[in-house]
Amino acid sequence: MKLFKSAAKPVAVARELLPTPFFDKLDAVSLVKNWHEWNGYLVADVVEAVGKEYFAIRNQSTLFDISPMCKYRVKGPDALRVMNRLVIRDVAKIGVGRVGYAMWCDEEGMVIDDGTVFRYGDDEFMLLCQEHMFTWLHDCAWGFDVSITDETHNFCGLALQGPTSFSVLKEAGLESVADMKPFDLREIEPGLWISRTGYTGDLGYELFTDSQYAHQLWDRLWGAGHKLWGLIPIGFDALEIARLEVGFLAPGLDFQPVHVVSRINRGRTPFELGFGRLVNFEKGHFNGRRALLKHRDEGSRYHLVRLDIEGKEPAKDAFIYSGRDKVVGHVTSAVWSPTAKRNIALAELEAPYGGKVKNGLWAEIYVYKEGAWQRRQKKAVVVETPFFTNARSRKTPPDLF
Amino acid sequence: MAQSEKRYDVIVIGAGHNGLVSAATLAKLGKRVCVLEKENEIGGMARNYEIADGLQAPRIAHLLYNYNPVVARELGLAEKIDKAPISTIALSDDGRHIEIANGALRYADGAEHPDAAAYAEIRRKIEKFGKLLAPLALRSPPDLSEGLSLAGAGEAAAIAKLGLELKMFGKKDMREFLRIVLSNIYDLALDEMPDGEVAGLLAADAVWGAWAGPRSPGTVFLLMYRYAYGADPSLPKRGAGAVVDAIVDVARSRGVEIRTGAAVSRLNIKNDAVTGVVLEGGSEISAKVVMSSLGAFPSMKMAGPQHYDVETVRRLRNVRAKGMTAKVNLVLRQEPKIGGVSLAQIAGRFVIAPSAKYVERAFSKAKYGEFPGAPVIEFVMPMVSDAAQRGRYLLSAIVQYIPYHLKGGWDDAARDRLTALTIDTLSQYIPELRENIAHVDALSPAFIERETGAPGGHWHHGELSTDQLLTVRPVNGMSRYAFGVRGYYLCGAGAHPGGGVSGAAGRNSALQLLKDGVLS
Ligand SMILES: Cc1cc2nc3c(=O)[nH]c(=O)nc-3n(C[C@H](O)[C@H](O)[C@H](O)COP(=O)(O)OP(=O)(O)OC[C@H]3O[C@@H](n4cnc5c(N)ncnc54)[C@H](O)[C@@H]3O)c2cc1C
Repeated sequence: MKLFKSAAKPVAVARELLPTPFFDKLDAVSLVKNWHEWNGYLVADVVEAVGKEYFAIRNQSTLFDISPMCKYRVKGPDALRVMNRLVIRDVAKIGVGRVGYAMWCDEEGMVIDDGTVFRYGDDEFMLLCQEHMFTWLHDCAWGFDVSITDETHNFCGLALQGPTSFSVLKEAGLESVADMKPFDLREIEPGLWISRTGYTGDLGYELFTDSQYAHQLWDRLWGAGHKLWGLIPIGFDALEIARLEVGFLAPGLDFQPVHVVSRINRGRTPFELGFGRLVNFEKGHFNGRRALLKHRDEGSRYHLVRLDIEGKEPAKDAFIYSGRDKVVGHVTSAVWSPTAKRNIALAELEAPYGGKVKNGLWAEIYVYKEGAWQRRQKKAVVVETPFFTNARSRKTPPDLF
Repeated sequence: MAQSEKRYDVIVIGAGHNGLVSAATLAKLGKRVCVLEKENEIGGMARNYEIADGLQAPRIAHLLYNYNPVVARELGLAEKIDKAPISTIALSDDGRHIEIANGALRYADGAEHPDAAAYAEIRRKIEKFGKLLAPLALRSPPDLSEGLSLAGAGEAAAIAKLGLELKMFGKKDMREFLRIVLSNIYDLALDEMPDGEVAGLLAADAVWGAWAGPRSPGTVFLLMYRYAYGADPSLPKRGAGAVVDAIVDVARSRGVEIRTGAAVSRLNIKNDAVTGVVLEGGSEISAKVVMSSLGAFPSMKMAGPQHYDVETVRRLRNVRAKGMTAKVNLVLRQEPKIGGVSLAQIAGRFVIAPSAKYVERAFSKAKYGEFPGAPVIEFVMPMVSDAAQRGRYLLSAIVQYIPYHLKGGWDDAARDRLTALTIDTLSQYIPELRENIAHVDALSPAFIERETGAPGGHWHHGELSTDQLLTVRPVNGMSRYAFGVRGYYLCGAGAHPGGGVSGAAGRNSALQLLKDGVLS
């Protein structure tokens, strides 16, 4: 049997991690050369210093390279039906030129991944997410009239986030974003898409374009914002603090994408992750619907909750106790929030803890001090609202500085 | 077209024998049932047809192998169906054929056969284990998804009971059962006897309808399935169609309505529950429950993939259903003669499988989409065993290892090759056959699929193999007849326990939906 039908030479598969379309730009300004792998690409953990980068998110503006994010275009007469079959929310309610947060489940109602749905047109969507979904989308679309293309590698993206981000755009000649409301999506110039979205809970935008225009886009924003508006590139570590302050979930940390785990009972339902309100049982069948009805009626087995923990030591990997000696869960992400000035965490607790029972919780934190481990029991309080919110992130038009 | 006024409790799609058994079972409890059949004739794969003026022939199925006596008793069919076990002649190239009559094997000329004892032992074993498994065919496969909860306790008990029965077998039998149940018939037979007609017959009986050769694992299980109610098949007087007629009588007497020429094009579904069906042509009929006797995949398409989880659709798309069996019916001008077969013996079943190797070799070709050099054939000549048709000469042949996925596809030329191959093979044993043929009807697997809707034209509507059995038939998570959408049930050969003219699937499905409470 012939494997390669065309006369063209097969393209070799790269063995090393790939540079993103913005890598050269980042590399040129990176002081610490601290990289890690994301979806086969080299991305920065830190460009210069975490603290500086974090405070730029909250006080200036920042660029974060989101190119490695999985991006799938779903297009065709049945595109809306396929998207609605995929995710738990009603996609019909995401208008053209809008973006919506979504989760999707397997047949048992366990979350496969979460991400954002960009509606480009009546019959055209882009799904942005962490996990690889190409095969899943094809399975999902079987019997429907749509085409699915993986745009991950030819569509690059930058997240521009921070209070001065609108000022940066204005300076860059993109002032027409002024009237864009949160979750709006627009082709601001031919081939340049912009959405008022982000992972920081601050004022911010995400910009997407064909990878061949990556450098042009970078230079344009850099030129407009670096000197005037304190625009700097950031890495993952700073972003991690910001997203925890808002309470966004990180797949692999706060929940285990069910297609990736091999152990049974590691999957979680949207109810268990605190996203029950997204599940729309009225829109017709969608994947996992029958199982989710059962989960809804039988109640959650776990609760993912926000915790405010006494003291200053981040409760990373801590066990959560009810009273002094009953382990009822563990912390999935934790950080000291510089803006809220609180010791915050996301934790998964076994029901009824975190649900009906919210009091009497303690975090057991391990602290390493100069060659010795200390164990500390700290009071943990369940918090219902994000640790960080601000009006500027939603104001339209946004404030200039 | 106007909407139908009447609302039924249950609509059954397909008037094959399973659909009819479902209908009759539910009608007994006063349910209003309507059976919709796309053909103008009732009976599906088990129906008779008029092959030549006034001459009735079994269109596809012709013998009863695993006809279920429990189902027959429940429906009150026993008295209505005239059937008797028939002897088998395993044809030999050298004319020294072998006969199995009343369980005993000898040469057709009456002489003792050296492998008679070995044959008897294998047959005893397979029948015994088959009988042990038989009760499993009469209940829904256990639901393992609930673990060992209270609700699941009944299921667990059913499994435990099988375990218990196995234990009561005694250690030796138990060990033997576990040793052979998943093994292959080739090794099982050839461990006990040299290859030849006897091993060939066992091999053939294990593989009828299957995409499997005697060396394929699971073929011993298939033989147990076929021999569960005795190794000797029986020939129903007036064909398999007579069985269908009897079920139709019972169903109609209980008020079941059967509409022919009524092809269902899709289901009506509202709020994740069926509300009825839409016929080709557009008219709608409503019902609380819809049962489909089609294969699992076409049944899913009838509801629409949008009503199924992605994983389910993927599983259903991958159900293996590649038919391997064709049917060739011949009308003959005069009574055929087979050398070495007596006048009395000609009323029996004939099997052309002179060795297990022959059977395996035929499969080897067919699995790559080619015609075998020589196919495995079972034929009966009902005209000589059925007084009603005496004077008319019919040869009904099941031709095994005729692939659905034939290289080059199924066109007229391919069908002519099927006819020629069948006649060539038969002619080796029936010398003057060719001149004697008045009419030929050759039904390829592709044709059978087109006519009956059976996926791949497959005997069981889906391979009956260890990965598509019991709790994973038709696919994982759907073994208890309920088919995704509330009120939608499978009831045909594609569901547990599989095909053959047995009626078990149709009966089990009806009982399960009553238990599920979808009619209340
Ligand atoms: C070549 C061959 C030989 C066989 N020989 C034997 C044998 O000798 N003995 C034996 O026991 N078994 C035999 N079998 C197997 C046996 O015939 C089948 O397993 C059994 O008859 C299946 O019955 P069923 O009721 O489940 O399905 P079917 O008999 O296939 O019935 C399905 C019915 O649904 C109808 N239908 C399909 N689509 C629609 C629609 N859209 N709307 C309405 N109706 C529809 C079909 O026309 C058909 O009548 C043989 C199979 C084959 C292929």
